[in-house]
Amino acid sequence: MSQKMITAKPKAASSTPRPRWQRVARRFARRPMAVTGLILVVGFVLFAILGPILLTDPNQQDFTAILQTPSFAHLLGTDDLGRDVFARIANGARVSLMAGVMSTALALIIGITIGLITGFYRGWVDVVVMRIVDVMLAFPFLIFAVGLAAILGASLTNVIIALAVSQVPEVIRIARGEAMAIREQEFVSGAVADGARDGTIMFRYIAPNAMSAFIVQATVAIPAAIIGESTLSFLGLGVQPPMSSWGIMLTSAQQYLAQAPYLALFPGIAIALTALGFNLLGDGLRDVLDPKETR
Amino acid sequence: MLRRTLNIGCMAAASLMLVSCASTPSASPSADEVVAGGIAVVALSDEPDTLDPTVANTFVARVVFTAFCEKLYDSNDSLELVPQLAASLPVTSADGLTVDIALREGILFNDGTPFNADAVKITLDRNLTLDTSSRKKELAALQSVEVVDDNNIRLTLSRPFSPLGAQLADRAGAIMSPTALETLGLDFGTDPVCVGPFDFTDRVPGSEINFTKSDYYYDKDLVKLDGVTYKFITDPNIRAANLRSSDINVAERLNASDVDQLGADGVDVLDVSAIGYQGLTINIDPTMSSSPLASSVELRKAFELSIDRDALNTVVFAGQTTPDCVPLPKQMAFRPDDIQCVDFDPDAARALVEASGETLPIPVELLIPARPTDQKTAEVIQQMANDVGFDVTIKPVEFVSALDLGRAGEFDMFLIGWSGRMDPDGDLNDLLTTGGTNNYSRMADSEVDSLISEAASVTETDARRDLYAQALDRIDEIKPLIYLYHDTWFLGLAGITGVEYSADAIPRFKTAELTK
Amino acid sequence: MLQRVITSIVTLFLASIVVFVGVRLLPGDPALVLAGETADPAVVAAIREQFGLNQPIWIQYFNYVGQALQGNFGVSTRDRIPVAEILLQRLPITLELAGLAILVGVLIGLTAGIVSAVKRGSFADYAANVFGLIGLSVPHFWLGMLAILFFAINLQALPASGYVAFTEDPGENLRRMILPALVLGTGLSAVLMRQTRAALLGQLSADYVRTARSKGVSRNREVKHALRNSLTTVVTVLGLQLGALIGGAIITEQIFVIPGFGKLIIDAVSARNYPVLQGAVLVAVTGYVLVNLAVDIAYAYLNPRMRLAGGAR
Repeated sequence: MSQKMITAKPKAASSTPRPRWQRVARRFARRPMAVTGLILVVGFVLFAILGPILLTDPNQQDFTAILQTPSFAHLLGTDDLGRDVFARIANGARVSLMAGVMSTALALIIGITIGLITGFYRGWVDVVVMRIVDVMLAFPFLIFAVGLAAILGASLTNVIIALAVSQVPEVIRIARGEAMAIREQEFVSGAVADGARDGTIMFRYIAPNAMSAFIVQATVAIPAAIIGESTLSFLGLGVQPPMSSWGIMLTSAQQYLAQAPYLALFPGIAIALTALGFNLLGDGLRDVLDPKETR
Repeated sequence: MLRRTLNIGCMAAASLMLVSCASTPSASPSADEVVAGGIAVVALSDEPDTLDPTVANTFVARVVFTAFCEKLYDSNDSLELVPQLAASLPVTSADGLTVDIALREGILFNDGTPFNADAVKITLDRNLTLDTSSRKKELAALQSVEVVDDNNIRLTLSRPFSPLGAQLADRAGAIMSPTALETLGLDFGTDPVCVGPFDFTDRVPGSEINFTKSDYYYDKDLVKLDGVTYKFITDPNIRAANLRSSDINVAERLNASDVDQLGADGVDVLDVSAIGYQGLTINIDPTMSSSPLASSVELRKAFELSIDRDALNTVVFAGQTTPDCVPLPKQMAFRPDDIQCVDFDPDAARALVEASGETLPIPVELLIPARPTDQKTAEVIQQMANDVGFDVTIKPVEFVSALDLGRAGEFDMFLIGWSGRMDPDGDLNDLLTTGGTNNYSRMADSEVDSLISEAASVTETDARRDLYAQALDRIDEIKPLIYLYHDTWFLGLAGITGVEYSADAIPRFKTAELTK
Repeated sequence: MLQRVITSIVTLFLASIVVFVGVRLLPGDPALVLAGETADPAVVAAIREQFGLNQPIWIQYFNYVGQALQGNFGVSTRDRIPVAEILLQRLPITLELAGLAILVGVLIGLTAGIVSAVKRGSFADYAANVFGLIGLSVPHFWLGMLAILFFAINLQALPASGYVAFTEDPGENLRRMILPALVLGTGLSAVLMRQTRAALLGQLSADYVRTARSKGVSRNREVKHALRNSLTTVVTVLGLQLGALIGGAIITEQIFVIPGFGKLIIDAVSARNYPVLQGAVLVAVTGYVLVNLAVDIAYAYLNPRMRLAGGAR
């Protein structure tokens, strides 16, 4: 996984003249790169939802139209079985976005819960969890994900699980750090003094204040997971055929690199653009949510 | 790299002489075009396992063995037996229970140890007794080995077994230096010594194995190269690219789709129809497979009718394989002459499916090894079968795990091939006989069992062919396997000539020479 | 400090268990792989016994650890060559690839980061930012495919793959390492560029630099000073990126057929070569943990104000 995280400082509930999200949106809209990112992401989400509905069947083979270069009938050409590449990329968008978003969401849910609990209670729970986290982090991300996917077997669900589990330790660390820091703040001690229950404190007081850190982590993790999915699929550990995934499309394109280079071009561009969209969006959100960091 | 300047392929050389280079063995150009000595670099499609003939199992190891480890017998273009280290063909007694083999005289192993009957006995005994010997099963009929004199051995069999000669033309007949066996024991494969044109130098795991010309080889005057290096390059595109750039001289198993382009780029390509087959193995044990295919011969017929073997060949293999419906390859002398495959007929298939009374579509889970070509084949078959009322789902599993599932019977249908053997027994026995280890389809038919075992005990070619014809007919009635095609393998040559590439698809470099 | 070292050792010990068990959780029997197409059950059983696979897993583990601590990692199931020998042969190849990739990464990443921070808002800054974002967003394997497509297939300028030992032919060795190192170094340079830029901007706006500026210190010296203080970030980032580098090396070696550690791991997975697989993964993990430890220590040394516990990751 790339990028050391620059964690946001917690914000105490302060009184502001305007709702916070409006300020954020304004600042966000002033950044062309961030807006470009948002447009790319929204575009790919729409493409993933609408593409498969509007386009031809991505699995329909046509042996009379094999390896055709892009044309009006097939915007991005056809593959080695005469399937429409554009339709397959649209279908692959679903797989990629699902794998990227679902695995990150799963990792956040698990990681934040564990992280908040260990950061809040400390003690032996913290020691045990952090030992496990250390061990997991001792494995480079890809080795861990490849190993897990190989053990679980190839399927979309297993890829999501493998990517989620590989991300969890990083999330635990962040959530734990946030919990430890925010816990010491006045408004939390106030709540404790008022007799609020532990669960309430963790999820009503601490979690919302750590939200910007989590959002920033998500925007870093999603593109990494999208690239992770395509890498696992490329290594044959991803989704099952005839389902198309950008990684699988690239694997088969490798065989035709000399004859049909466009087969290798478009799925790669799709991966890069989607990841770029999330990265731009993430940069923008980080700037907006965390104005103290100059970027 | 040393061999940078070798790009004038065989094409150019051959066209000067008006001889096609695609013949086998490839034509030898006139003396001024060849380069004396030099090391030929050969790209294999995979890394061989240990270079110990008693335990080795990979096809690529068989390729490497030809460089340094000769066998008692070899096979010719019709997959018939010819003597190699033996002096003549085996002589079988009238009852079929003793086999006499005369050996070549006065030859040496590559470490200078004399080759004789004692050495042969030591090797064969090792093959029979070593715990991890993969040859034990191949030599199951062999009871004992007796040294008659220095140059003659006598084999005693427990039952008449005509495929024995073919086994001795494979790894079971590769004779190892007793001196090396003595020193290395189980680790023979780390520094192997046999009789052969080249001698093992070293192995870089994951990368290459090096051989240099042997000083002790009996035919060393015929050997022109100073050595051979086998590199392991698993990606066929990269093998092709390296051939184009003359980084390598020879590439094994090129993609069918690359062949035309390579020819245009001046690389010479030889092809051989491989003796193995590819097929769809169907689990016909209804207690293990929930697919209706398991219990219905009619549905299995329908499935076969739904497959257009020719279209599969065109789309996936650029028309380069040999579509077929039996396991025995076309070049095999024992193959019956009157094989008639059923034609692609989706309407008839649909009718059979509808007549079956099953709820449509009929579910079939197709297990495949997760490899690009298998994946593609499966996707084509899926579309064809689904067209007539099946519902094929593809389950790609990494190769090793797929074999596990196949062996355990955890599949409805399994896309898996067999590398093929010189003798038909090796393509049928154990694969389709009751209780066989490789009988993934759980076929259990006494008629097939007895026909196959009878055929192995008969020595006369016509009689054997006839028995195999009956066996194949019976197998086709039950249809535990839908045979699809025999592969064609392509060998690319750049800057090298005199390479032998014949029916067994194993390139040999004994007489090869580099060219300018 | 000592505590940090002890933690690392405990982590490694636990990781070795994870590797050992994980390797055995892979579906597929290594004995069956070795026994090959014909797989005689008797042979399979004999192979299992030969490699001790028929023993309970904890006994296998203790035997393994006992031997491994003496430097004996067993023999490869595929060719019976000692694992330690294989690892020693492969390690320098991957280290060379990683070293060149780091060189590429640092050269491009640091330069671009400095330029874009110093010339903030300029076209160069904009271009560097775009490069950084694209570098982050492009998967290694695709970049590798494009490199092969362009340089090897279209231009035929560089070989598509293969490896020549540096000792055999240094020029050829480098010629073949150019593409893989560039592919592997791109991602690194993107991260480095972004981090260098951020760190440098932070430093340039820091109080002491502003003070220096008001005293009339030249821009050059000012940047030099800030740069020195940003170096800790660069060192940290390099340590952190090692994991990504190892992952990237696996893919890069696979694509360019370089017989290094990554390819060793992938080949060992498909052959279920347990001794080689656990040896290679353990060495990779150990290297990773040790480098991170070294980074933490270096960090504390370069920047004593930072407490170790809150250090890098």
